[in-house]
Amino acid sequence: MKVLRIIPERCTGCMRCELACSYVQTGTFQPARSVIRVAPFEAHTSYAPYTCPQCAEGWCMTACPVGAITISPVGAKIVLDDQCVGCKLCTIACPYGTIFYNPETQKAFKCDLCGGAPACAEACPTSAIEYVEAETGDWLGVFAATRAARHHEMQVAGAEVG
Amino acid sequence: MATRHVIVGGGTAGLNAIRTIRAYDRGESEVILVSAERPYSRMVLPYYLGRGIAESHVFTATPAHLAQLQVQAHLGRRAASLDTAANCLTLDDGTRIEYDDLLIATGSSAVKAPVPGADSPGVHSFWTLEQARGVVAAIREGSHVVLVGAGFIAFTILNAILALKAKLTIVEIAPQLLPRMIDRTGAEMVEKWLRRHGVAIRTGATLTAIEEAEGRRRLRFREGEDLLADVVLMATGIRTNLEWLNGSAVRVNRGIVVDDHLRSSVGNVYAAGDVAEGLDLVTGQPAVHAIEPTAMEHGRVAGANMAGQDLAYRGSLLMNIVEVCHLDIASFGAWDDPTAEAVAAARPDRWAYRKLLWKGDRLIGAMILGMANDIWTTNDVGMLKGLVQAGNGLGAWKAHLRRHPFDIKPAFIASGTTARLLPETILGRPSVPVGQVM
Repeated sequence: MKVLRIIPERCTGCMRCELACSYVQTGTFQPARSVIRVAPFEAHTSYAPYTCPQCAEGWCMTACPVGAITISPVGAKIVLDDQCVGCKLCTIACPYGTIFYNPETQKAFKCDLCGGAPACAEACPTSAIEYVEAETGDWLGVFAATRAARHHEMQVAGAEVG
Repeated sequence: MATRHVIVGGGTAGLNAIRTIRAYDRGESEVILVSAERPYSRMVLPYYLGRGIAESHVFTATPAHLAQLQVQAHLGRRAASLDTAANCLTLDDGTRIEYDDLLIATGSSAVKAPVPGADSPGVHSFWTLEQARGVVAAIREGSHVVLVGAGFIAFTILNAILALKAKLTIVEIAPQLLPRMIDRTGAEMVEKWLRRHGVAIRTGATLTAIEEAEGRRRLRFREGEDLLADVVLMATGIRTNLEWLNGSAVRVNRGIVVDDHLRSSVGNVYAAGDVAEGLDLVTGQPAVHAIEPTAMEHGRVAGANMAGQDLAYRGSLLMNIVEVCHLDIASFGAWDDPTAEAVAAARPDRWAYRKLLWKGDRLIGAMILGMANDIWTTNDVGMLKGLVQAGNGLGAWKAHLRRHPFDIKPAFIASGTTARLLPETILGRPSVPVGQVM
């Protein structure tokens, strides 16, 4: 299936993906409702977007007591609004922290790959988000570990100089 | 002849077992379900009480759905006894059903506090659909509802009671709210929050009797003033439904003792959900969790093994989440392990509190409180669960989380936890959605 592949080295932290995502998902520009979230690394000198990996287990889907989460034709785990009662079990079952709860609608919400045309990938000006045929993966782990180690070394060096 | 699987109990564990059997065999075997009630989800009963959903929404398997899964259902019947030597189950109407293998998933029942008057009219439990109907009929706008017990079950119906514009008083025998879900500090925060939302609370209160008082109920306590209630809801605990196994060869400790295949002491008898004493993922010790996610995973693993797989289960992660008046309260894993190294931090201005529990550099449990509309809270609930579930050593990130317990994300991402979690599935293969089993 096609997945969102993140290439963190290309991310500039412009947040366009968050704006595009929230606009397509909710009809308004509100990054707080975006299901892709840009995380800062190395004391805000580098950034990377993070979103649902559409995992094989589908922890949110199997946890749902009323079968309100299913798999869409493009392979995304999606919330069926008319079935979701807002019990939040999915938000605690998902070990990636990528399914959310909207207190206004009292429903869970998550990345549905925009039905096969992800707005985040389209909006990204540097192609840091690609929608491609691939195995899902941990796109950020190595990047984040390296940036953190580098930041830590600089702090240590800074402390020695200072 | 086709293998005959008998499933006793139509709750979360039983239905998940059935769907899993069918996901493997596509209808080749014979599946018989014995269930005292029509299958429904207990988790969603509070939303029915609050009128957020219709009663029809609570059912998890309609007769048509069961027929589609090729399940022969004995609904309204209870299991009466089990003869494991003859591989035969007897129902309460005398029907005898022979099996090749059998799953015990009879769940648990609500227990009322043992005080005089507990069984009088106007005193309800909220556990089964039938009981929920009784409560739905009893609460009216302006009713004074006294909720006896301040545990998870009580808290799941709190929003619904307030949504019905009833006046609510919570009475708890323990010195704090949610004694089996959060620590004292968290409970104090929750108590303050609820008082602010108009809920009266009495902790450390021992109920001694419930009396009739001109159509209302008078609650008497060991100390302190009486309370007058229109409706009394007892959420004072549950007990597993195992009496019918008395005299059988199935070994019972706190629950039915099961191995990592969810098999009981009798090789072709499995147990799942509230009745099963299975492995706890974090402690590696046997435990009875009696929570929905454990019932779901138990049911699936048992179903897979009944369908002929050889599937070992790593164990269940204890977890609970409940929202009251837009405050999220969650805990998981060994959140109350007194031997763990605990780090707690509060941000009272945001009603945020959390506690992380460590063994070495592994996170083994967590507690989290925060506003439901605070993105931090929901984001971190999942990631903390992921860190406890993955159980990986966090190395230098432990120091980061000790200093910044509200900054989970970089630790989660940079520790490679996603890479550890992605290959993990309960059944060793991608999950199938409920509607796409057959």
